[in-house]
Amino acid sequence: MESRQGTVAVELTVNGEKRVAAAEPRMLLTDFLRHGLGLTGTHVGCEQGVCGACTVLVDGRPARACLTFAVQVEGGCVDTVEGMAEPGALSDVQQAFRAEHGLQCGFCTPGMLASTEALLQENPDPTDDEIREYLSGNVCRCTGYQGIIAAVRRVADERKAASRDA
Amino acid sequence: MTLESTAPASAATSATTPQPGPGARYVGRAVQRVEDPRLLSGRGRYLDDITLPGMLHAAFVRSPHAHARIISIDPSEALALDGVVAVYTAKDLEWLGPMVSAGPMREGVVAQSRTPLATAIARHVGDPVAVVLARSPYLAEDGRDLVDVEWEPLPPVLDPLAALEPGTTLVDEALGTNNISHLEQSVGDVEGAFAEADHVTRIRFHSGRSTAAPIECRGVVAEYEDRAGGRYNVHSSTQMPHLLRMLMAPVLEVPEGRLSIKAPDVGGAFGLKCSMFPEDIVIPAVARLAGRPVKWIEDRWEDLAAGVHSKDMHCTMEIAATADGTMTAFRGHFVTDAGAYSSIPFTPLVDSQVAGAYLSSCYGVQNVAYAVDNPLTNKCQIGAVRGVGWVPGQLAREVAIDQLARALGKDPVELRLQNMIGPEVYTTPFGQTYDGGSYTASLEKARDAVDYAAFRERQAEAREEGRYLGVGFSPFVEPTGWATSSAAAGGLPNGFFDTASVTVEPDGSVTVTTGLHSHGQGHETTLAQVTADELGVPMESVRIVFGDTDTSAFGMGTYASRSAVLGFGSIHESAVQVKDRLVRLAAAMLETDHTDIELVDGAANVKGVPGKSVPLQQIALFGYFGGPARPDDVQRDGLTATSGYSPGETYANGCGAAVVEVDVRTGQVRIEQLVAVEDCGVVLNPTIVKGQVAGALANGIGIALLEDLAYEDNGEFVSGSLLHYLYPSTTEVPDLTLHTIETPSTVSVGGVKGVGEAGTISAPAAIVNAVMDALSPFGVVVEKTPMTPEYLRELLRAAESNGSAPAPD
Repeated sequence: MESRQGTVAVELTVNGEKRVAAAEPRMLLTDFLRHGLGLTGTHVGCEQGVCGACTVLVDGRPARACLTFAVQVEGGCVDTVEGMAEPGALSDVQQAFRAEHGLQCGFCTPGMLASTEALLQENPDPTDDEIREYLSGNVCRCTGYQGIIAAVRRVADERKAASRDA
Repeated sequence: MTLESTAPASAATSATTPQPGPGARYVGRAVQRVEDPRLLSGRGRYLDDITLPGMLHAAFVRSPHAHARIISIDPSEALALDGVVAVYTAKDLEWLGPMVSAGPMREGVVAQSRTPLATAIARHVGDPVAVVLARSPYLAEDGRDLVDVEWEPLPPVLDPLAALEPGTTLVDEALGTNNISHLEQSVGDVEGAFAEADHVTRIRFHSGRSTAAPIECRGVVAEYEDRAGGRYNVHSSTQMPHLLRMLMAPVLEVPEGRLSIKAPDVGGAFGLKCSMFPEDIVIPAVARLAGRPVKWIEDRWEDLAAGVHSKDMHCTMEIAATADGTMTAFRGHFVTDAGAYSSIPFTPLVDSQVAGAYLSSCYGVQNVAYAVDNPLTNKCQIGAVRGVGWVPGQLAREVAIDQLARALGKDPVELRLQNMIGPEVYTTPFGQTYDGGSYTASLEKARDAVDYAAFRERQAEAREEGRYLGVGFSPFVEPTGWATSSAAAGGLPNGFFDTASVTVEPDGSVTVTTGLHSHGQGHETTLAQVTADELGVPMESVRIVFGDTDTSAFGMGTYASRSAVLGFGSIHESAVQVKDRLVRLAAAMLETDHTDIELVDGAANVKGVPGKSVPLQQIALFGYFGGPARPDDVQRDGLTATSGYSPGETYANGCGAAVVEVDVRTGQVRIEQLVAVEDCGVVLNPTIVKGQVAGALANGIGIALLEDLAYEDNGEFVSGSLLHYLYPSTTEVPDLTLHTIETPSTVSVGGVKGVGEAGTISAPAAIVNAVMDALSPFGVVVEKTPMTPEYLRELLRAAESNGSAPAPD
């Protein structure tokens, strides 16, 4: 994306890979990821930090990429939906969203997946109320949230069962 | 989410099995969605993911005023900015044809013409007046802020009822009136019924102004290429590629063959993306002027201020009844606050007319009358959004029925059951013919789902403790499968059909093309289920292709809960022709009569002769390259067929029920339980149906409690962000109780009815009735949505001050 004076090179690790691209200081992380690096899986819904569609993990913590400047993440690690699983495969979270019909149009989904990953890192066995509270900053206009909450519950249960068996 | 299904035995037995057994049908099974792996791994391709070589970025200069004359537009500072390439105003686009909203072909409807960029007058906040092209979206917005527009603010028309009065300021002087459509209809002896009634209930209700606000805003990427005498390629986040092309081509002054519309993955639409907008015209036009591709991605303020608004309707509803509770007449007046422009193509009649035309709903009332008016105001245009005018119409009727029940001292469920039609085919007073439904059964199921008798006891106990619980019911009928017959029956007589092409490729795989579009509904799954069943092939071998006017025959697009019905029907009509050819080819190969052949699991078998079989790949190869040994029509047409389909009238039905608690100190409403009983005929995929119902219910919660596009008294728009326009989030949508009943349609292929809007239609009235029930000790009368805490406190304060409130603890 063409920009004005003051452009700097921003270097960061995205999905485990070292990446570098040019950004002017005002460039949002959403635009940097989407148009600078071609990682269009991160979506933009409001540019005000309300809808949560742009949620990615920055150094392991959920962040609104639309409220983050690319230059703020210099030297850091960003995880996006493209890195959640090997090509052609789906992670356990992604599979659970499919199994529970936790998506329809798919636009809010990458942000939902990122928030879900973050929630389960912080709280591996959340109650339904805790799931609702944690995901209340991610808006979905299609599903009415039923499949999303069921999907998070499913992953938590599956991980719990797997750790018991291990 | 509580799930329970009453499915036909054939479907129920296979509903939980992930893979079908030999000969098993896909329809009715909860197969996982084909589109999910792509969307879950960030490999969806939405509009803003499209980049064309040399592409410029557009930003619109829009009116900050509700009504203002444009004195001058000075682009010089913007053009001086490095990176800004061009600024265009209406003067640069005078070569375009007008955007005309003609509406349905009937008397009483005024056509309105507009230009895509305002010429002399801006008519609402957000009305576009100029467009800036630059080398990045950031620079385009910089340039936009530097365009100097001199405005002369004019007095805005904001009150739709006042706008109907003679002598009021005209929003569009060329029309000579603000009322762009007045329609009315009366059947039976309405006056007589009201004159003879033992009781008349009359309510006013203002259904608030809401919108779809999909998480993905709108967008257009367009290029003009010097090919075929000049051709536009337009990528658009639309629900209806062909209809959009048909609407755009005359404005761009090209034949439809020189305009292609491609709709990629679309991030939610809910009806909002089935209108033609000014930007749809401006972006291709300026791409032509600039000689470079142009992208415009709507921002959230533009979406909220200048997309389409919905459901802003001032309703008056009257019911005549006998002393025993028999409802003898309905009379309604529905005034849509239409905004500044008649939306294209559906016009504000998509709200007001359907509120009136379906007024009798599931009740056997024979004397029915309605009138609708659509005054223009200096606000955003009203257009199609999920549930359209059925939502206000449902609110008006069902809130009035609850008021009638209170007035007569009757139970609201019993009163409804007493007046309901039976399950058989039924013709309404206005001539709509329902194809059978579970009207009373749905209400009874909803009543049981909230444990009604026990609730009343719980409610009484809670009131003793100063807690206010309420329950509300909202049975509905939803016209679905929007087609020529249903549109005519709804008083909107235009032709609606759809077309599918079904091709068995030389390797036996199946390609289906359709003009329908999927933006969350899962057509790549459900239409593949249907096709696989029709041809007896594995679902994995079927590919559903849509979203490009260059790759499918004309289709009407996806809106109005029509695609399950139209998709199934049009695929069926084409598939039976291809199947007939496959069977005759197989008969020739197996040296038997074609009546002995069955297609199952991707092979043709001779019935009753195990092992005598030929796989579809071989049949297909024979069909393409078998020379003169093949039947004549296969030699001529190959293994492809294209057919249209326009079903008879088909109506889904069901019932919503809500249990709420109102905190009378704060006005906060908590939804304890929300029930949907849905009868959409034969269910194609129970998971997808439940997802549609759940999402629609969430929309309904927003309409009832949260979503409000507000204008100040001076016309200033104050709901321009998601901080102000509130969506239901995970904490506002409870665990939903979803039930289905299947009453197969008597008219549609496969017995299918539509499902997309039901929850949005039923939920608001259920929630309003529940709140009124909760607050009945206060005598509070809710007269509008959304029921914000502020509004309910206002009503409660009034009740407290006039002494109708119960004594505080």
